[in-house]
Amino acid sequence: MITRFALAAFVTSCLAVAGAYALAFLPGGAPVWSAWGVAVGGPGALAAIMLLGAARAGRVRLVVGAAIGLTFVVLAGAFALALLLPAAEGPGGPLWLGLPLRTAVVLYGVGITPLFFLPVAYAVSFDADTLTDADLARVRAAAVSRVA
Amino acid sequence: MSGWPLVAAATVAQRHPAIIAVAVLYFVGVAVIATWATRRTHSAADYFAAGKGVGIVTLAVAAMASTLSGFAFIGGPGLVYSVGIGAVFIVLSAAVTNTMGAWVLAKRLRLLRETRGLFTIPDAIGARFSSPAAQGLAAVAMLVAIVGYMATNFLALGLVIDALFNTGLAAGVWIAMLVTLSYTLTGGMLAGVYTDLFEGVVKTVASVTVFWFVLRTGGGMTGISRAIMAVDARFLGPWGTMTAQSALSLFFVFGLGSLGQPHVLHKFYMLRDPRRLKWYPLIMSVVMTMTLLLFVGVGLAVRALVAQGRLAPLARPDDATAAFVLGFTPSVVAGLVFAGVIAAGMSTVNAFMNIGAAALTHDLPIAFGRRVHDELRWGRRWTLVLSVIAAAVAQWSGTLVAFLGIFGFGLFAATLVPSLAIGLNWKGATREGAIASIATGLTLTLVIETLVYARVLSLPGGVSTSGLSLVLSVLVFFGVSWLTRARAAGQLAADVAMVMDV
Repeated sequence: MITRFALAAFVTSCLAVAGAYALAFLPGGAPVWSAWGVAVGGPGALAAIMLLGAARAGRVRLVVGAAIGLTFVVLAGAFALALLLPAAEGPGGPLWLGLPLRTAVVLYGVGITPLFFLPVAYAVSFDADTLTDADLARVRAAAVSRVA
Repeated sequence: MSGWPLVAAATVAQRHPAIIAVAVLYFVGVAVIATWATRRTHSAADYFAAGKGVGIVTLAVAAMASTLSGFAFIGGPGLVYSVGIGAVFIVLSAAVTNTMGAWVLAKRLRLLRETRGLFTIPDAIGARFSSPAAQGLAAVAMLVAIVGYMATNFLALGLVIDALFNTGLAAGVWIAMLVTLSYTLTGGMLAGVYTDLFEGVVKTVASVTVFWFVLRTGGGMTGISRAIMAVDARFLGPWGTMTAQSALSLFFVFGLGSLGQPHVLHKFYMLRDPRRLKWYPLIMSVVMTMTLLLFVGVGLAVRALVAQGRLAPLARPDDATAAFVLGFTPSVVAGLVFAGVIAAGMSTVNAFMNIGAAALTHDLPIAFGRRVHDELRWGRRWTLVLSVIAAAVAQWSGTLVAFLGIFGFGLFAATLVPSLAIGLNWKGATREGAIASIATGLTLTLVIETLVYARVLSLPGGVSTSGLSLVLSVLVFFGVSWLTRARAAGQLAADVAMVMDV
């Protein structure tokens, strides 16, 4: 189930990016709104392929699914805010943590925020879901029998 | 990474002896590691995959060192200085890509080493699809990119060595080649991975130190931002001077494309205990973020200094790092950065030497139904041949070397991401889909990049060759796999299926 969803989301995301590229070939260049295809498709592709990799027997642990879902929301949300918020980067414009608001949302949101939960979700779920002692023993047994 | 004209070779050496001292110390460190590793390299497995393996910290730092080439210290800050925040989109996905790589590929590649004894990335593609042809085609695609990548890095290293030691560019290129070759040839990947560790530490320390000086010099991020916003509102906007689609396209290509970089991915084979992968994303993300501080900080600081009239506008954007460290940091820090640049180039070249030699010694013969009997000896020979070709290209090809360097990342991404990253996670993928996608990525990248380079074709704004090739090769992979879906189950070996189930 999760695998099918991840594959569908990945293909849809890539099609969104491809659509944005195709629009750029129109006479007059890409319309302003075509950037939305990459703004949503890029994070969608990354989140979907993570989900595909994390799934075991078509399922993922809640903490993993939540972390990947949150990653998509944070990334796509930050890009969406940057596209939607009015530009205020001129002299005397407001700063947030030393950067103009839209830029801060992108740099801190996309470049920093996932660091606080994504590697943690991976580590927390690793022993139970990603690679157990039994998994490793099974793989090593298969290797031995293959050689034999 | 391109030139270093700001640094007039002789004057640097004469005015900053501390820089020379740090650079010499760096080379001594590399020599010591190489000597140690040489004594421990006895087989092809030692040479291509670091023998019995390395620990997780070594793996993570070495992978970071290979990921961030000299571009992160020179070209990247130059691009930030030139186009503003938009350039940061090249590295913006780093907070995600390390965990993504761990979930998608790390475990599966490491377990394939357990079951099959694999040690190259094309090996994994060949095993996944039971296809020597797919393995061989992946090796060909890699070789095309590798020569360009190596030549670009040799040229960059030659420029820095010339700047430091006044050797002349040609001699600098060949010295860089010989130093990197000497430890790669003798100590193979074992030398490579431990010099990568050393080089990674040098790069991280250099980056963090320089970032501290960036904040101090510019009056913190607020001071830097205020100075830039006073003269150029767009520069500090979320896309810099680029369009939104162009910047976002960089995020997509460098984010998804990270799953197709063989010089980083093949390090997963080297991990001694696969259970230690648990800590890989955390360690890798922390060291990579620290090392990228220079990439982001220097370009912004130099732009602010120019806006304040404290620094003359740069003749070339690539001078940004040199201008900042020579003008606003102590000589020892500048030396550390120069050593970091050398480290960045050498660690990347070393990885490419190794995987290129493996492609020629191991993957291509398999594609033609042959096996090389003494892979260690032939691996060393091909390492030598590849290095000489790349150094010759760097010295004599003129602007062609920049062209070759441009498409390396994109070519890896477009040819390897579908068959490797999706292929190892989706049992519905087929051999035909893999071969079609690799061929699509290779052909599109070469044809479009050549036409653009020759000014025959101009892509519209917001579209890059890398992005176009990557997305089309992915769609071809799915399309052809769907058309040939009846064959999927029969192409998947039982042990590989088990690894995919884990």
